[in-house]
Amino acid sequence: MERLLNLDRRFVYLVVFVGITLALLIDFKLPVSATANVKAVYDDIESLEPESTIMISFDFGPSTYTELGPMAKAILRHCFRKDLKIIAVTLVPEGQGLTQTILDEIGSEFDAKYGDDYVFLGYKAGNEAVILNMGQNMRRAFERDVAGTPIADIPVTRSITSLSDLPYVIDLSAGYPGVEEWIQFGEERYGFKLAAGVTAVMAPDFFPFLQSGQLTGLLGGLSGAAQYEHLIGHEDQAVSGMRPQSVGHLIIIAFILFGNIAYFAGRSKQ
Amino acid sequence: MSRDQLTLIVVVALFTIVNGVLIANGTIEANADGFGLIVAAGVTLALYSFLYKDNPLFKLAEHTYVGVVAAYEFAQVWYQNILSDIINPLLGRSSLPEPIWSILVPTILGMLLLTRLIGKGVWLSRLAFGLIVGLGAGLLIPRRISAYLIQQVEPTITAVFAPTGFDFWSLFVLVGVVSVLVYFSFSLDHSGAVGGVSRVGIWFLMISFGASFGYTVMARLSLLIGQLTFLLQDWLHLQLPLF
Repeated sequence: MERLLNLDRRFVYLVVFVGITLALLIDFKLPVSATANVKAVYDDIESLEPESTIMISFDFGPSTYTELGPMAKAILRHCFRKDLKIIAVTLVPEGQGLTQTILDEIGSEFDAKYGDDYVFLGYKAGNEAVILNMGQNMRRAFERDVAGTPIADIPVTRSITSLSDLPYVIDLSAGYPGVEEWIQFGEERYGFKLAAGVTAVMAPDFFPFLQSGQLTGLLGGLSGAAQYEHLIGHEDQAVSGMRPQSVGHLIIIAFILFGNIAYFAGRSKQ
Repeated sequence: MSRDQLTLIVVVALFTIVNGVLIANGTIEANADGFGLIVAAGVTLALYSFLYKDNPLFKLAEHTYVGVVAAYEFAQVWYQNILSDIINPLLGRSSLPEPIWSILVPTILGMLLLTRLIGKGVWLSRLAFGLIVGLGAGLLIPRRISAYLIQQVEPTITAVFAPTGFDFWSLFVLVGVVSVLVYFSFSLDHSGAVGGVSRVGIWFLMISFGASFGYTVMARLSLLIGQLTFLLQDWLHLQLPLF
């Protein structure tokens, strides 16, 4: 029993690695159903009038792309399908290249035209100060888009002078700056509806904001992305990731049970 | 030659052979994109090798990552901020002309932060830090009180016996908040009724920690799934799922 309790942690890694690899290689279906928090984001977007302009802040980099990338793609697909106009920004420097790639990929799926259907304003340093700046004067915060065109000349941003002009903002965040800053300096001051997509590690911290109404919806981790893919009827990366995710969880649960049984069995012997 | 050195050589040789085969059969193109793919796969494997043991490949990947991120972030800040917000307006290339002082004063204050690198001029940086601390506190304190206290208190004290009927979840939130607050009241002796309530608070805390840990496991596994998908699908070009 003592030997089992002192199991080399590398054995745990190996079992998780093999389990997840097998679940990626072998196809089997697992049901996905949307929770109320994810459904709320879907319903909010559904309730917007076509041609409405919304903002998506892509505040994440490559290290959390696995969780937030599929989420961003699913939300963009929904927005383009609803014919919403999208203003994309990023408050983290690592987000610049990723956001451009995601926008180009999903934009081309829907034949969306840059400038008419979506625009990318790029990265601006300053964290919460950028949010405040966008609230006070959008054209001062981002004078030009990433291509160097003045935003006053771009159809999507022509009529937007402040965050107050936007009915809906979605923040896809992996930390600071992110949802907390958007709540404090954006939603509370400028009165738009705010939804968030965050990494699974961060998700429990934001449930109180849902209850208080400061967030209207929340997507947490790969599972949140899978639920959104299911809702829009376009099952992609996130839904296929639920297979290995579930197998990984079962393995971890098995190890926790095994560790506890071994511990209590060893203690009762003593 | 030690066992670790031998393992390192075998792993590098295997990686080279696999990439050689992939290039030879045309799975990976012999161009910049293909090279980028091989580097990404190599760095992924090198970083995961830490799970076995700390090793030179992990160290190389770690330091390369730090260097690349620093350079990438500098480039972004240069083009998106320094060039567009400082240099272009000063050279009159901005479509929104600003008074020169509104660009020069913040720029000089920002540059004062760099005086920390100069021994005798360090006091100059305090001017900029003073402004940052003062401005930060002034901006943050009212926002924090509003977002984290005032807005949060309201749903916590929602009537348990509302006109629409008994609300179990309001009672649940109320019991949770009160019992956890009692648990953290260290000036009270945690015995008798207070001890009982604080024990309830411990249960709420434990469930909250469990939920956070569960979500953390989910996040870490998601990252592993993402990287394994990259290795199997993008690098080895396997069509997932295979079976």
